[in-house]
Amino acid sequence: MAEGKEFQKSEYFQNRELSWLQFNIRVLGEARDKSNLLFERLKFLAITASNLDEFVMVRVASLKDMVHADYTKKDIAGMTPREQLEKIGEGMHKLVDTQYSTWNRSLLPLLKKEGLVFIARHELMDEEQKQFADRFFETSVYPVVTPMAVDSSRPFPLIRNKTLNIAALLKKKKGGEGKGSLDFATVQVPAVLPRIIELPGKDGVRNVILLEEIIERNMSRLFLNYDIVCAHPYRIMRNADLPIDEEEAEDLLKEIERQLKRRQWGEVIRLEVEESIDKRLLKILKKEFVIRDEDIFTINGPLDLTFLMKLYGIKGFDHLRQKSWVPQAVPELANEDDIFTNIKKGNIFLHHPYESFDPVVDFVRRAASDPQVLAIKQTLYRVSGNSPIVAALAKAAENGKQVSVLVELKARFDEENNIIWAKKLEQAGCHVIYGLLGLKTHCKICLVVRKEEEGICRYVHMATGNYNDSTAKLYTDTGIMTCDKATGEDASAVFNMLSGYSEPLVWNKLSLAPLWLKNRFVALIEREIKWVKKGHEGRIIAKMNSLCDPVIIQSLYKASAAGVKIDLIVRGICCLKVGIPGISDTISVRSIVGTFLEHSRIFYFENGGDYEIYMGSADWMPRNLDCRVELLFPVEVQENREKVLHILEVELEDNVKAHVLLPDDTYEKPDKRGKILVDSQSQFCAEAVKAAKPPVKGRNAAMTGRVFVPRESPE
Amino acid sequence: MAVATFAAIDVGSYELELTIYEISPKKGITQLNRVRKVIGLGRDTYDRGIISYDRVDEMCKLLSKFKGVMTEFQVDGYKAYGTSAIREAENREVVLDQIKVRTGLEVNVLSNSEQRFLCYKAIAAKENEFNNIIQKGTAIAEVGSGSMQISLFDKDALVTTQNLPLGALRIHQILARTGGTNSDKKQIIQELIDNDIQTFKKLFLKEREVKNIIATGVCALYMGRGAHADKQRISVQEFQEFYQALRDMSEEQIAEKYDIPAEFVALIVPGAMVYKKLIEITGAEMVWLPGVRLGDGIAAEYAEQKKLLRFPHDFSQDILVAARNIAKRYMSDKEHSAILEKNVLNIFDSMRKYHGLGKRERLLLQISTILHDCGKYISMRTPGECAYNIIMSTEIIGVSHKEREIIANVVKYNTMEFDYTADSYTLNKDMRIIIAKLTAILKIGNAMDRSHKQKFKDIRVSIKDQQMFLTTDSAENIMLEESLFKQKADFFEEVYGIRPVLRKKKGI
Repeated sequence: MAEGKEFQKSEYFQNRELSWLQFNIRVLGEARDKSNLLFERLKFLAITASNLDEFVMVRVASLKDMVHADYTKKDIAGMTPREQLEKIGEGMHKLVDTQYSTWNRSLLPLLKKEGLVFIARHELMDEEQKQFADRFFETSVYPVVTPMAVDSSRPFPLIRNKTLNIAALLKKKKGGEGKGSLDFATVQVPAVLPRIIELPGKDGVRNVILLEEIIERNMSRLFLNYDIVCAHPYRIMRNADLPIDEEEAEDLLKEIERQLKRRQWGEVIRLEVEESIDKRLLKILKKEFVIRDEDIFTINGPLDLTFLMKLYGIKGFDHLRQKSWVPQAVPELANEDDIFTNIKKGNIFLHHPYESFDPVVDFVRRAASDPQVLAIKQTLYRVSGNSPIVAALAKAAENGKQVSVLVELKARFDEENNIIWAKKLEQAGCHVIYGLLGLKTHCKICLVVRKEEEGICRYVHMATGNYNDSTAKLYTDTGIMTCDKATGEDASAVFNMLSGYSEPLVWNKLSLAPLWLKNRFVALIEREIKWVKKGHEGRIIAKMNSLCDPVIIQSLYKASAAGVKIDLIVRGICCLKVGIPGISDTISVRSIVGTFLEHSRIFYFENGGDYEIYMGSADWMPRNLDCRVELLFPVEVQENREKVLHILEVELEDNVKAHVLLPDDTYEKPDKRGKILVDSQSQFCAEAVKAAKPPVKGRNAAMTGRVFVPRESPE
Repeated sequence: MAVATFAAIDVGSYELELTIYEISPKKGITQLNRVRKVIGLGRDTYDRGIISYDRVDEMCKLLSKFKGVMTEFQVDGYKAYGTSAIREAENREVVLDQIKVRTGLEVNVLSNSEQRFLCYKAIAAKENEFNNIIQKGTAIAEVGSGSMQISLFDKDALVTTQNLPLGALRIHQILARTGGTNSDKKQIIQELIDNDIQTFKKLFLKEREVKNIIATGVCALYMGRGAHADKQRISVQEFQEFYQALRDMSEEQIAEKYDIPAEFVALIVPGAMVYKKLIEITGAEMVWLPGVRLGDGIAAEYAEQKKLLRFPHDFSQDILVAARNIAKRYMSDKEHSAILEKNVLNIFDSMRKYHGLGKRERLLLQISTILHDCGKYISMRTPGECAYNIIMSTEIIGVSHKEREIIANVVKYNTMEFDYTADSYTLNKDMRIIIAKLTAILKIGNAMDRSHKQKFKDIRVSIKDQQMFLTTDSAENIMLEESLFKQKADFFEEVYGIRPVLRKKKGI
């Protein structure tokens, strides 16, 4: 791109990792937000912890790799990997401090006030509780722990990634020789046991303590010949980026299985220890894990806050939790007809989790048993455990349908799960494709080929979210079911390409990454510029999870400079900066962090009044647009277009859960004073409930109740 | 079911393609799915004369996958055709057998003229546009990878078709071997093209007016994308602009700008240059890119054969017009031929019960009749052999290689003694019987007009007691005919067991 150089300056971009930290701060903000129910706040805090774990394991790990390899190329924001690591380190430490001050200063006291006492140290238990804890240790913990001491004959053991462990310094009991010398020992806190143990309490107050405290208290029982000098929990994080050599790997399935085992051996890139840890103990850990000071996090509180998710699930306290949402029925499907007949009536738009995911499951299930169905083709990226969709696909193959499934083995952290399903499907007789060489298949599409009276009819479901019935209750996603001919033809073409055939001669409606999608987006953005030049208004609304593709951002800057009004709803990373004079004046960015994880990708282009709306699986990230198979599809039926536009409009009005990006790269909640509060997620819930209610039909309205209404003569 | 699904497989020289169609009287032929994969069969055939085992293996694997797609759509029927790479491979019989054994698929080989004719059928299947376009003088030009084919229309019938060695890949390879700068290379292409196309103009185009060019084939496809023809028609001006832009770009730039897969981009510049030259010499005003593929033609043929669809366009008429044009070229006696055609067909039709041949053979007989005296153009002494050679080296669109051999033989034996044992290597039993039967009819038909005076203008044919009476009401002396007739009648009797007898109508 020769032109547009003016939009390429590194100061126009935010570093993606720092932007990600901003996102986690927004989630943490929800944990700090007093207007949220207490248990919801626990949940948000747990999410920030697991988010951070993943971030360290993947992003920090890959930056470390770059530094090790002396890779010094700067990112779009002009930072070398080393500089990034430095800044990220600062940010992470700050984030962790905030996490624990939130826990210690706000949540802990509040829990106590609500009658749930969290006993931070085993020493604080009363006698009865101590007895209970010891009994629990003896019956439940002792049989499953493996104490490991380190000495000249026993080397330092393998400490597993992400596990919680207790390190201790031991001293031989009197009578033994070598007095004064200390031995190191470590015990893994068993993952098979619940981390939260409820202790007996009085007067209706409930008491809980963490498993590691109980083990600590009973350390001496694990090392009978020793005195325990000190014992402290610690946790490590290893580099988990799988370096899979696809070209070399003969069997991708086996290669991934092997690498999964190796993940346990990656370089240690983070060590978390208690603030009060004994200096000598820390020194040993430092040496054994070869870790630098900046990668050590000293924690003022319990390690690994993800246990709060379990605390969230503790019995009782329902008034402190938001009522779990029941996804509503899709109005178009609330009738006696089968799903195919209903799709025939018109395209069906789905908005999860406000609307139920059941129709999608039903779609595959019906197809599996429908005698007229010839073939089912589907992509699977992340599926739930015990997925009804996988079961339906297997059944379809058993019923003699042609079933092709593309299982993406490279879906991060789901590799293990996916291998199991892939094998199961293959056994059932499905044709399974294990992803594509060098590309992740991220598009979500399901195609059903049906032989009908009038010939072959193709039914297609395309969505922004995975075919995962569990996450569909938590992630906001959109999808379309259609039997449009041109779309069906394209859908076949998508699967042809996924099966290794050449690209189709033409696409009717769909755009596919990595070949066409980025150019398509750029063209759509530039079309808005053209409209502005012709004297119309140019307008773009785009909603996605992350925005960091430099080409797209430059196009957006160019459009903004030309006067196109651009509103972005970006949940996570956003490398675009707002408010740069002459560059991004007309761009607004907001991020919605709510009960549900915002996940849908929706793109609106005004097109001089004849607006176009697209949905798809791709974020505006290089990894999506260049390294993945992604799909973009138009929303065509006017009724559906209005529904989708409504989603965007409400989210742009959200002033409860939305954070607005400021020119200094921080986010702030908009000023609510004097405004009607709009919480988009709650509003969509309410709307879904209303839409799902069977309409009261005019004439028979009076007959819907069980009470007869006598007609009386008029006055 | 009123709706049929059909699979067409094109075992091409550069890529293999499977297309699934749905054919119904209501909606015509619609495409359901199309899968393609590049396998360079042509590279094997053109370089080494045979298709290597590896390639066959690769091809069989792909064809098995194709079969999977066919089951997926539960097709009612399929047709698989190989084109030049298979046609020209010395080991083609073995290759086809391998395919049969390993995949169960029967692949037939298309002659060039059949292949073009199928494409033409596909174009004609888009009837509305097609009929509009051919109102004005039209040429169909297909620049393929190995050669180009130009077919000319006169009003609504195809008159001639010629194959020129101007394939885009061929040109590209010539260039690859020559040194020089880019502009040198473009100069060389220019000269190469100019020469061939000028010759074509001199011999075939003459003063024929061509207003429209229908461009098909791989080059046309990507050309359309380049000239931004979401619409299928591009004006000559739009084409010129595209051409200018193309000349100044590298292959990488072209691929990027026009979204052309890397493996095809090399074909674009030579292809565009050929079209440009063609536009210049014809003075065409509009280029139509119907975007048809061979598979479309295969489907159209299937639909026609299975009577799933009716085409308003009469394709056998095209073949006949093309044949008449060849005859004209070799200065056949038009009046004589017309009478002969009438008589011969009359006999054929009356003999239906006895020869058991069908419509297609009738067409072959008709073409044989039209071309029966073209050999005289070369030599009056050996017209049979000369005719045989002319026919064997002339493309008759819509006629397969085997059919062409039948025609050539029928014409040859029209003036020569029939030789039951000749060519037993290339002709199979069925073909030899057809040749004998058609020759027998042509021979007596011809004998009836030996004088070229059309004495037997209106004959009546009747068959009774192993005799076929050919009755004329001509008042003229038929001595010459009668004397010649005996020998021809002997052969006829040999073939059919029926004795033809010439009769003058009683009372004259």
